[in-house]
Amino acid sequence: MHTDGIRTGANTDVLRIAGLTRRYGRVVANDDISLRVRAGEVVGLLGHNGAGKTTLVSQVVGLLKPDAGEIRVGSADAVQNPGAARRHVALQPQAHTPIDGLTPRAAIEIAGRLRGLSSRDARAVAVELAEELDIGPWLDQRALPEGGGLSGGIRRLAGFAMAVAAPTPLLILDEPTNDIDASRRRLLWDAVRRRGDRGSGVLLVTHNVAEAERIVDELVILDRGRLVADGSPARLRGTQDSDLRLELQLPPEGVDPSEDGLGLPVLRRVRTGRRTLLTVAASEAAAAVSWATAHHAQGRIEGFSLAPATLEDAYLALTEPAAPHATPTSEEATHV
Amino acid sequence: MSESIATPTTSPGPPLEPIAPVQVSLWTSFRTLMRWSLASIGAMLPLIVIVQAMLAAGVIVGFGFLIPGITAESALVLSSGTPTILLLTIGLVIVPQGVSRARASGALDYQRALPVSRPLLLLVDLVVWTLIALPGVAIGLLVAWLRYDLTFSFDWPLLILASLLVTTMATSVGYAIAVTLPAMLAQLVSQVLVFLVLLFSPITFPASQLPDWFQALHAILPIQPAADLMRAGIASDAFAADGRDLLVLALWTVLGLLITTRALVRRK
Repeated sequence: MHTDGIRTGANTDVLRIAGLTRRYGRVVANDDISLRVRAGEVVGLLGHNGAGKTTLVSQVVGLLKPDAGEIRVGSADAVQNPGAARRHVALQPQAHTPIDGLTPRAAIEIAGRLRGLSSRDARAVAVELAEELDIGPWLDQRALPEGGGLSGGIRRLAGFAMAVAAPTPLLILDEPTNDIDASRRRLLWDAVRRRGDRGSGVLLVTHNVAEAERIVDELVILDRGRLVADGSPARLRGTQDSDLRLELQLPPEGVDPSEDGLGLPVLRRVRTGRRTLLTVAASEAAAAVSWATAHHAQGRIEGFSLAPATLEDAYLALTEPAAPHATPTSEEATHV
Repeated sequence: MSESIATPTTSPGPPLEPIAPVQVSLWTSFRTLMRWSLASIGAMLPLIVIVQAMLAAGVIVGFGFLIPGITAESALVLSSGTPTILLLTIGLVIVPQGVSRARASGALDYQRALPVSRPLLLLVDLVVWTLIALPGVAIGLLVAWLRYDLTFSFDWPLLILASLLVTTMATSVGYAIAVTLPAMLAQLVSQVLVFLVLLFSPITFPASQLPDWFQALHAILPIQPAADLMRAGIASDAFAADGRDLLVLALWTVLGLLITTRALVRRK
């Protein structure tokens, strides 16, 4: 993990976190975390449920108080002066944005006004965002209590639009794609990337590793409160772009024939439940397939597939639970 | 999957101007938050007016049945107490339930994370709830007038002051209950308060009918002072205002506001 960034290039950092620790009773939700987000950069914050992502975000916007560590948002010290720090941040929380009684248009206008847009600019922004996210048909449909009036996906998109209504130094999005259909999810990812390109620093909390990979500059991976890896997607993938993933579906009794080796070099091996993911070089594709076909014929594996290796494989290796079956072969898969 | 990559702008381009933090005047923030709050609570307004009307009818007509051969004097006590019951019910029961819901759904935290001063959030809610509660005074008096054909002797300045103070007191105490106690407990406390206000408080009957120890308790609780002050504004010929009532109400209001502000500002 490289945290040297904390010291250099301070003037472009919109978020700098150093040594952040927060406990709930005896559970350490954030354990000595350091990270930074520069202006114009999209940083993905990945981790399983309970990894400490939302706890981290809550401390940045002044809902929770850290037990130790520093948080600087722009020029403001978010620990000492949370009110000043909040003026640098727009947050789309994981919970639904409270827009009952409002139309998406009114909600976006209100969010823009609260962040300093003039009435006219706020009205224009609502129309632009409806276009960008393809929610025009719902723009004047009122959200009603108990989830009526607007679907969850449209509410989530309206919440996103509220967060980005006005340019902000730091934009924090906590699972922005939940409930959203595939085509609008693509629009949303592009919209997130665009906010970075226009100069905001974006901290993107997600467990949608495969989709986030397309738009992030940097990734930070949390596992049970600790930062286990950070770096660019290419660096974290840790293998060549041309590498392949051999996925084995194991029989119910769960004996994994690949434990004894395949007779070819395996770059990474991760076991999740009844699946084993093996990363192999492209040149070994033929050998890998013949090994798998032979084992399949003998009934030692139920099925297999061969596909390009993804960041998700690396992510799973990094956050693999320390179960008795787990025997990570990759050096990156060691966790504390 | 990489064929449609939304590639980061590769052209170096001019260096990005740093984006400035939010600078918004208090007045703009207040007006914008008012628009938001009115829209979200405003949807409930017709329902609340109906509940107030039914509650008023229940107290004035229903309690009237309990007193056979009701005298003009008792009718006046009953009628002049009804607006107080409506205001206290909104503040001590409906407000905590709304705030508990906002806490549970994350709506309260959403607003706390906005670039606005957190005490402003409380001020906005106080104003909105006051707007919602105040029609209760007129509704209560209208029902009383229809039922008993009473003539009131209004002391308008006092009535307006008392209505505002009682609403603010009840809303801030109700808010404090909701932000301090866990949701289940807040719900329970607000239910118990309904009974205390409706049945065990000298609002619809004179305090002299209560045992001494209960009278002493009511002297320091805000309920009787609220009722007495409202009564003096509604029937100024028959009842006089007391500076002590004003003081007790003001103290409870300050207490409620302090607890609420602390809960809104504080980080857990």
